[in-house]
Amino acid sequence: MAPTDVKFRKIDVDAYDEDVLLETELYDPDPRDPQQVIEETKARAAAVRSSLSKGDILGALVTILDNPPYGSNAEEAKNLTLQTVVTVLNSTKATDIPNVVRSLPPEAQDTLMKYLYKGMGMPGWGDVSGSVLLGWHEKLTEVAGTGCIVRAMTDRRMA
Amino acid sequence: MSNVLRPYLAAVRSTLTAALTLENFPSQVGGCSSSPSVNSIRVSIKIKQADEIERILCHKFTRFLMQRAESFIVLRRKPIKGYDISFLITNTHTESMLKHKIVDFIIQFMEDVDREISEMKLSLNARARTVAESYLTAVSLGIGYRVVTRLKCILWSYSAFAPA
Repeated sequence: MAPTDVKFRKIDVDAYDEDVLLETELYDPDPRDPQQVIEETKARAAAVRSSLSKGDILGALVTILDNPPYGSNAEEAKNLTLQTVVTVLNSTKATDIPNVVRSLPPEAQDTLMKYLYKGMGMPGWGDVSGSVLLGWHEKLTEVAGTGCIVRAMTDRRMA
Repeated sequence: MSNVLRPYLAAVRSTLTAALTLENFPSQVGGCSSSPSVNSIRVSIKIKQADEIERILCHKFTRFLMQRAESFIVLRRKPIKGYDISFLITNTHTESMLKHKIVDFIIQFMEDVDREISEMKLSLNARARTVAESYLTAVSLGIGYRVVTRLKCILWSYSAFAPA
């Protein structure tokens, strides 16, 4: 008998599964409106530029890494954040990295780790430079330990 | 370890160490007699392939290893799409083996595979040169001197411009 109706194969059976795990159940959604998040991120990018022109690397990093965008509807804000983070990382002298990393608050360290991994996953995107990211990753791991990497990997509020 | 690769391998090492903090965790599905849910980590590697010869060697080399996957325990028979070789480390592996030894094994593998492939490439080129030379010596008995000189010139320019 020739197979006649194979449409049933296209049914998304996972959608009928009671136990299906949705992304929305993994973390509380960002209470901010996506448009507001983008505005905030743009304002921060401007603040970072003025900090950088004064040579205040630590201030710039703390500004951009505080309360970062998350969730699936914030891609644009996330990319802008990555771009800003990369600009800060690229304009830091290698000898200053350990002091900057040590002075960051723990939450900012975790967020920085997330953005380091995001950057490593997008080689050649924007100004992303592998060797700079690897240098920061090494120093950050020395200061914040393996726990920081585990937190960055397991947090579902991905960068 | 070469200096260029050092920061890269250091980052891979700390990332693997963090990722391998695997443990059994109880199954969410109650009443079902399945084994408990387990965590596992899949490590996929893309090997550097600069030219055609390296691509062929890499393909042969990883295939050789993967056909013998059961001897390597954590090695998969097929790589994930887009990569050359995949490892799957399950919680039983982390229980029965030392974690830092697994990390060492993967780092060691990544170091060795590059060296292995460039060595094979060198010996392959050397072999090709020897074969060609002895072939030309045989031919030169039959053909005129000029043809042989010309062929040798081609051969030399090949070896001069071929990437080492």
